[in-house]
Amino acid sequence: MITGTGVVKTFKQRGKVLGAREVRALRGVDFSIPKGGAASFIGESGCGKTTLGRIIAGLESYDEGEIVIDDVPMTPLRPKQRQPHFRKIQMIHQDPYSALNPTRTIHQTLYAPLSLRAKQTGRSAAWIEERAAEVLSLVGLDPGTVLGRYPHQLSGGMRQRVVIARALTVDPEMLVADEAVSMIDVSLRLGILALLKDLRERLGVSVLFITHDVATARYIGDDGELYVIYRGQVVERGPVDTVIADPVHPYTQSLLSAIPVLHGLERPGEEPVTPLSSLDESQSDEGCLFARRCPFQGERCADERPLLQLTEGVPQEHACFYPERRSVIARPMSEV
Amino acid sequence: MSATLIPETGSAASTLRRNFWRGVWRVMRRKPSRLVGVVILAGFVVMAVVGPMLLPDPLPNDPAAITRPPSWEHWLGTDPQGRDVLALVITGSRYVLLTAAITAVITVVVGTSIGLFSGFKRGRWDTVLMRLTDMKLTIPGLPLLLVLATVWRFGSPWQMGLVLGLLGWGGVARAVRSQTLSLRERGFIEAARGLGLSTTHIIGKELLPSMAPYIAMNMLISVTGAVYSQVGLFFLGVLPYESDNWGVMLNLAVFQAGALITPNALGYLLGPLMAILLLTLAIVLVVDAMDEIFNPRLREE
Amino acid sequence: MSNQAPGVRIDGLTVVYKTPAGELPAVRGVTLTLEPGSITGIVGESGSGKSTLALSLLNAVQPPGRIAGGSVEIDGLGDVVGLRGEELRKARGKHIGYVFQAAQNSLNPLKTVGKQLLDLGRSHGVDDLRGLVREAKELLGRMGLDGARVLDSHQHELSGGMRQRVGIMLALVLNAHLVVLDEPTTALDMITQANILRIVREVHAERGLTTLVITHDIGVVAEVADRLAVMYGGRLVEQGPTREVLGAPRHPYTRGLIQAIPRLTGDIDEARALPGRPPTLVTVPKEGCVFRERCELRMDVCDTVDPEPVADGPRLVACHAVNSASASTTVATKEHA
Repeated sequence: MITGTGVVKTFKQRGKVLGAREVRALRGVDFSIPKGGAASFIGESGCGKTTLGRIIAGLESYDEGEIVIDDVPMTPLRPKQRQPHFRKIQMIHQDPYSALNPTRTIHQTLYAPLSLRAKQTGRSAAWIEERAAEVLSLVGLDPGTVLGRYPHQLSGGMRQRVVIARALTVDPEMLVADEAVSMIDVSLRLGILALLKDLRERLGVSVLFITHDVATARYIGDDGELYVIYRGQVVERGPVDTVIADPVHPYTQSLLSAIPVLHGLERPGEEPVTPLSSLDESQSDEGCLFARRCPFQGERCADERPLLQLTEGVPQEHACFYPERRSVIARPMSEV
Repeated sequence: MSATLIPETGSAASTLRRNFWRGVWRVMRRKPSRLVGVVILAGFVVMAVVGPMLLPDPLPNDPAAITRPPSWEHWLGTDPQGRDVLALVITGSRYVLLTAAITAVITVVVGTSIGLFSGFKRGRWDTVLMRLTDMKLTIPGLPLLLVLATVWRFGSPWQMGLVLGLLGWGGVARAVRSQTLSLRERGFIEAARGLGLSTTHIIGKELLPSMAPYIAMNMLISVTGAVYSQVGLFFLGVLPYESDNWGVMLNLAVFQAGALITPNALGYLLGPLMAILLLTLAIVLVVDAMDEIFNPRLREE
Repeated sequence: MSNQAPGVRIDGLTVVYKTPAGELPAVRGVTLTLEPGSITGIVGESGSGKSTLALSLLNAVQPPGRIAGGSVEIDGLGDVVGLRGEELRKARGKHIGYVFQAAQNSLNPLKTVGKQLLDLGRSHGVDDLRGLVREAKELLGRMGLDGARVLDSHQHELSGGMRQRVGIMLALVLNAHLVVLDEPTTALDMITQANILRIVREVHAERGLTTLVITHDIGVVAEVADRLAVMYGGRLVEQGPTREVLGAPRHPYTRGLIQAIPRLTGDIDEARALPGRPPTLVTVPKEGCVFRERCELRMDVCDTVDPEPVADGPRLVACHAVNSASASTTVATKEHA
């Protein structure tokens, strides 16, 4: 179980001439991912979803708030002490090309973390070899053919499987997959998603999926939670299918409206929402963060910031003063 | 999981090594010029190691043949003391090559370690080490050598190599640091840290091999640099004459034998010049192959 | 120079790349017509030859590749394959605008967008540079950007979506009426992608263009294209009106590709991955059908004979199984009648 409360992260950018600009990447985010569960972070690029993922995987520090991994709070610990806890959370990078060292064979890549593991647990060298073959089989690769190869001899999809296999060498509790399929051929993507789903079921590994493609988020686990993140704030949070079918926050609705419609196979939603402008970090921090782009802005939005909460008649949490259901997503022709 | 499928670590490593050398051979064969480079380079090494042993010490001088042009007897002619120029080039090569090798090793070891450490640790260590490097880079090499020459005689190639090496690592350190900074952002380094692998592993097994072509190229280039600077110093005559060095030969050919005036001493001038030229050429030809040798993808294509 | 949308007729185009294993075809015998004023989308995975095909329109295939056969007839230009040197350079830009894959990298990081625009104008011998700048500002304004500000910016000051729009502006500013967009929305998020696609549609209609969109994403084609062509292993395996192809895909590859897209509604287990993986230049079969290794309808004939595209109304499918089945049904219906 991994939970976070009020996680804040601010990046300082050096100004062009003078002064430092502060970018508020995360403005107090709460999350909770149960053991074996699934969660997805969605949002535009620059919304903070990747930063949050990296903080959860221990690759980035946070400024305020608390992260608890299996009942151990991280904030009081020193970086060195945090490391073994964060090791339970492994990152699957977006780019399977830079995630593997091109000068090392797959065998060498898997051997290093496994031999560390063997040393810690007093296991033999034979165990390392056995386990290397085992993790490769777990991700659907044939150890006999893959072990001796260099990364460049494998296709993008196979590399991503090796990356997942490498993460499995340390018996992680959670995998953080940051756009893990966006650089993989379309016909192979589903295979990787299915693998992540399968690992959840077989090994009880929880999966945190970070993406801008909502449909893939659904595929990892329809029992999981969807977090819609905008400018460092969670604006809508709830069960995947509920948020997709009945989104109430205008930002979520914009995201879902933007998904291409397979005309001929699907019928577009009746009330698509288009934001008034593009994401601009320099926009004011006053009031609702989405107000400037929101087509449905009300009186309260300019001065007051809505917080993530449950309101009557809406099953999911949301941060909007005027939540309203709109039919935005495309539906199959056959259904209507 | 059948154990027969998986090779043992030992044999896996040796297969890997065998494949590496097979790959190197493939890379070399791809362009004949590289093979030529390797052959010349090997020739020079053999010449420096074995050559002086085969020749009498001191070299016999023939008072009847002083400063002669090339002939069948003396392929590159003779010097003002009647010694064979070819034999002089061979005996001189030991000093030149040994110095160059020592310089290259020191440059690369010091430069790489400082660059790696600085780029990997970042922060305070980086600042301190880079200021140190900057300071070192501002020390002008030639005047320092001139001053050093007044106290040190540079009779041994070890002294020469040490001084040149300690003067030369700055550029390598800076270059390696910037490489490290860009590599450490790559996914595989981050993954290694996330997996809890030790810093030693990350630097030694992940970073260094990725920079190997780069380091090897720097090493070879600093060899040529070392050859030029020592030959230059001896040629200028700021260092004592008693060493056997191509630079001493050039100096004597020009200022004593009058190679610029009389064609008789042309062989004496051309001998060491050709040697330097050939050595540089060989290194340039070999550098061309480095990238392909250390990149498994290019190696196997 | 014509001011109308040109038609393009690609006929039997073959492009080969020189490799240590000999010359291998990246595009083989592709025949495709772009109707004047239409948007055509080419969908394919990595190694399908779609980008090579797009480059052939400009006769811009770089060595070690070369166009080995076939022709590319563009109205007002003639056969592009025959063009050389100066003629060709002029044709690019003036007749054909090309928006490069990941426009993020196709801008010079050291020069402002305006400077690059002027360079473009000068190299094409435009006399009225002021007019060019005016036109560029208008185009940028049309795409929802502040023209003056963008022209004064360097690449790093623009977001991904803005760069993509600058790329489109540079492709159109010389008044080209044939536009090729290579992966126009890769690496952009959904909202920006939707924006760019809307802009592509609108600009296409307003300026009267013939547009070719190259992408790996069926969704992108579904949103913008009138006609869809699917490439696999250097061959065009299916083409037809977008809605018809998406609604009732015939080639097993097209079917598999559509089935592999996760959907927002319905049973998630309906989505299924295609087995195997796409071929590369080296692994693509020399004879027979290129898709047979991953095909569920594979027959004996597929191993030896490469299926020719067979037309059925506006649609073409290159598959033995599909074509023999439809042939027998037509025969059957005829007999019945």
